[in-house]
Amino acid sequence: MVFDIVITSLIKGSTYAMLAIGFSLIFGVARIVNIAHTAFYMVAAYCIFYTTTQLGFNPFFAIIAAVALVTLLGLITFKLLIAPIREHEAAVLIATIALAIALQEVMMILFTGDYRSVPALIPGFATIMGVKVFYQQLLTFVSVLVVLGLMWLFLLHTKLGLAIRATAQDREVANLVGMNESQVAMLAMGISVGLAGVTGAVLAPLTIVEPHMWNHPLAMMLAVVVLGGLGSIKGSLYAAFILGTAEALVVFLIPAGAYLKGAVALSIMVFVLLVRPAGLFGVQFEEER
Amino acid sequence: MNLLRYYLRKVFAVLKNEVLVLPSRIVVLLFFLSMLLMPLVVDDPYFIRILVLASIFAIFAASWDLLSGFTGQINFGHALFFGVGAYSSAILNMQAGLPHWVTIPLGALVAVAAGLVVGIPCLRLRGTYLALTTLAFPIILLGIVFAFPGLTGGELGISGLTRLSTSRTVTYYIIVCIMLVSCTIMWKVTDSKIGIIFHAIREDELAVKAAGINTILYKLMAFCLSGFFAGIAGGLYAHFMRIAGPSTLEVHMSFQVVIFSVFGGIATIWGPVGAVFILVPLLEFFRLWPEFRTLLFAFVVILILLYMPGGLLPWIRNKVEEECPRCKIRNFAARRVCRVCAAEMR
Amino acid sequence: MKKIRSYWVILLVCALALTVSVPAWAKDTIKIGVIGPMQFVQGKGHWNGAVMAMEEINAAGGVNVGGKKMKIELVQADSNEFLNVTDATNAMELLMTRHKVDFVVGGFRTEAVMAMQDIAMEYKKIFFGAGAAHPELCLRVAQDYDTYKYFFRAAPFNSNYLVRSSFLHLQFVAGILKSQLNIPNMKVAIVAEKAMWADPMVTAAEGVIPKFGMEVAGVWRPSPVATDVTAELSAIQRSGAQVIFTIFSSSVGIPFARQAGELKIPAVQVGINVEAQKDSFWEATQGQGNYIFTMNTYSREVEQNELTAPFVNAYVERFGETPTYTADTYAAIKHSLVTAIEKAGTLNADKLVEVIRDQVVKTPTGVVQYMKDDQGRYLHELTWGPGYLLGLGVQWQDGKMAGVWPNKFKASAEAPEISYTGMVDYIIPPWVAEAYKK
Repeated sequence: MVFDIVITSLIKGSTYAMLAIGFSLIFGVARIVNIAHTAFYMVAAYCIFYTTTQLGFNPFFAIIAAVALVTLLGLITFKLLIAPIREHEAAVLIATIALAIALQEVMMILFTGDYRSVPALIPGFATIMGVKVFYQQLLTFVSVLVVLGLMWLFLLHTKLGLAIRATAQDREVANLVGMNESQVAMLAMGISVGLAGVTGAVLAPLTIVEPHMWNHPLAMMLAVVVLGGLGSIKGSLYAAFILGTAEALVVFLIPAGAYLKGAVALSIMVFVLLVRPAGLFGVQFEEER
Repeated sequence: MNLLRYYLRKVFAVLKNEVLVLPSRIVVLLFFLSMLLMPLVVDDPYFIRILVLASIFAIFAASWDLLSGFTGQINFGHALFFGVGAYSSAILNMQAGLPHWVTIPLGALVAVAAGLVVGIPCLRLRGTYLALTTLAFPIILLGIVFAFPGLTGGELGISGLTRLSTSRTVTYYIIVCIMLVSCTIMWKVTDSKIGIIFHAIREDELAVKAAGINTILYKLMAFCLSGFFAGIAGGLYAHFMRIAGPSTLEVHMSFQVVIFSVFGGIATIWGPVGAVFILVPLLEFFRLWPEFRTLLFAFVVILILLYMPGGLLPWIRNKVEEECPRCKIRNFAARRVCRVCAAEMR
Repeated sequence: MKKIRSYWVILLVCALALTVSVPAWAKDTIKIGVIGPMQFVQGKGHWNGAVMAMEEINAAGGVNVGGKKMKIELVQADSNEFLNVTDATNAMELLMTRHKVDFVVGGFRTEAVMAMQDIAMEYKKIFFGAGAAHPELCLRVAQDYDTYKYFFRAAPFNSNYLVRSSFLHLQFVAGILKSQLNIPNMKVAIVAEKAMWADPMVTAAEGVIPKFGMEVAGVWRPSPVATDVTAELSAIQRSGAQVIFTIFSSSVGIPFARQAGELKIPAVQVGINVEAQKDSFWEATQGQGNYIFTMNTYSREVEQNELTAPFVNAYVERFGETPTYTADTYAAIKHSLVTAIEKAGTLNADKLVEVIRDQVVKTPTGVVQYMKDDQGRYLHELTWGPGYLLGLGVQWQDGKMAGVWPNKFKASAEAPEISYTGMVDYIIPPWVAEAYKK
């Protein structure tokens, strides 16, 4: 039972972490609340569905194609849709909601509302401590570690990473010392959406591919990001595992209340915020009055 | 008789000197008149139904604007108030057998309580934190609704509520009048001193605090007022549809109201109301292409926002009206001199 | 005056669309509105079934209404009810007032159907519900007959009977397990999506399973839209259940079947899994839904009576898939409605209600007769049972949906044996057989 809970929460947590890190990055750098983040995840899943089952691609190439396409889509979105109205926070918010709905409808028209599925990259399951775990779930967990490692290397040990961190800390000063803030934001957007694409790629075989699949992860991702502290990647990581654990606990301890797992996780978020209004590791953006 | 003549003359003078001088005021006047006269001209139940639903959503959207547009407390879970209003009206109506003119105000009061329940913990939260936290509340309540199916009817909702009236026209007038009155009240509130403080809280809360104003009180007031009107909208919706179901609490509902408001222009009250009366019929119009309906809707929203990020209606208003550079009074854009201080307009 | 102008534009366009779309012989047609979530499988079923009925009737010359031959005309309305209940009511109002339909069929999500029911009743139009299973829809008929008498259930039979059918299936499968694997103490895990319609079923199952000589291993209630049920599956395996009694109407049926198959959980699934009733189930579970048993309405190569095969075959040929229960709009229009119209010789709703509530008609799924409740009030509810509608038990066998129940089924000891044509034997999943081999 205990191992069940531990393993389930690690896997749940890593999927939320994947989504939350990307969302957190673009918010931290450019203060863009990208509601369409999980819609990009949906597009990636559909892309993999199409390339593997319809075009017969090797799943590995399908993932590369999906991530590339989604990243491109994200960059185009930023250039055409977000950059022109960045000064209007509310407008950006609605524009991304509308974009998410538009993407959902496009997928609906292309692939209808039927439930689709994607074959696992590595089929089968392993038995760890008596608990059955899909290889695909392990893959998700490993990819979170890899993504985190790469992000850490990139942010702390490259010049671009330095630029991103600087912009995240203070946009105006970054601009003053000669960084092209809008290009840095675009780069961050590319990475962020690319991460959503990777998440879609590794998660698609574990879920149902359908046009509304972005809704549930959206609420959970936002909860994770808020709980961890907006813009804090470290915070997102911790929060993802906290909420993942909360969900696993509900499922295992009160099986007849399994449907409440989302509500319980969100309540935890609300309670933590009451104590720490800026999340676990968040910074109060006081200077941005 | 003389008194009557005096008042008539006064009304006429106000009409001539205050209302008919500005296109926006003419539009508002025509809007009131056309809403009130519509059933006399059009006898189409479908059309009337669209107007009724638009009226309900207009109250809902305006209440969001009152809270989020004015005080800047972006609420992403506004469906909470709507759903609480709808569910409590429905429960009071079905369980306690109260008539609708009791259940709707009571439902609105319960929504006020919900406003306090959400508002008090959220006082410490700012900006995006607040927006994303409020998103969670309706989802949590949805969990509670499903946990007590005996009271709430689970996914079926509570159905069979009493009608507002057996006559369609009377129903129309009840809802439209409530809409006109509550939107006017909300507009008046925001136009008063309270409204100025709301504005100030959005722009710089610290400065307002420093000026010795209890911002907490005003923020809670915004939550309660907004909750009240959203609750009324929810109650009306429940009695009109004769069902209060989980769809009133879905994320879709919360997003929809934000789309209406931002599309119409926030911090105006009339912006969201106008947007609802444009978007709801538009969405019905798109039924001509059923597969592309939602997509077209999304595209319209995106396009408008790209070119008019401040909202559609303020953009139009700024095209047809201009502020006098000296006395800051609005004038029709074609005028050469200000209508009040006679200063050159350009 | 943007607002007012937009109304006029809408009015004009609608009027135009109407004048264009209504052909010259409009007065000689019977208009039937088909309302459903047209972007989804359920709504497509509504529409396809209705189209088949229309084509067959019109090809035969139309409906004989008191000596006058009238053709059927369908009007499609997208209710969008999964996403927006308000939309659904607007669509219904549109059918009633703009298109002025004579009858309506369709509807799926109960919350929306209730709201739509109210509108149809207000206009006194006969509404055949073909999707929502909740008894409340018909209880309203009994409680307020004058208002709600225009509502009839077309499919599926109400959830009380759904569960009774499923218990028969459970006994059937448990019997096979018992005899072939020698399991003395059968344990049943009840897994029902968290939805109101499933609640009474869960209570009933908890009460009835011990009476069948089996033990309830636990109850799990995942969300109807859960996409990952590995946690539940681990817990079920731990509970030692050999049978999983499923009650799913939503998407959760797919991941549950798929993940159980992938994890080779040593328990057979039986019950209701609406997703498994569709042809797309095999692909949606990547073939992991093998051996899933579910209650169903239609299956290829299975014949309830002589009407089944012509309908199912024509449907498969025309739309490339097996009909699901929302396609019962076909039977509602062709058998219930048209028969009644020809008998009554009128389109008057009140007169038709009196005919429909008492008539007995044969449909591709069995015999439709509307029943009364125990106080003798009209319920407009489908009668369930041998000789009427009984439903079907199907099992997925290597990519094919095969009919396995009723196969030599006896309702009671003396009752005659019932077998539909085209039945095959139930197969125990090999990994389950492996796990319990002594």
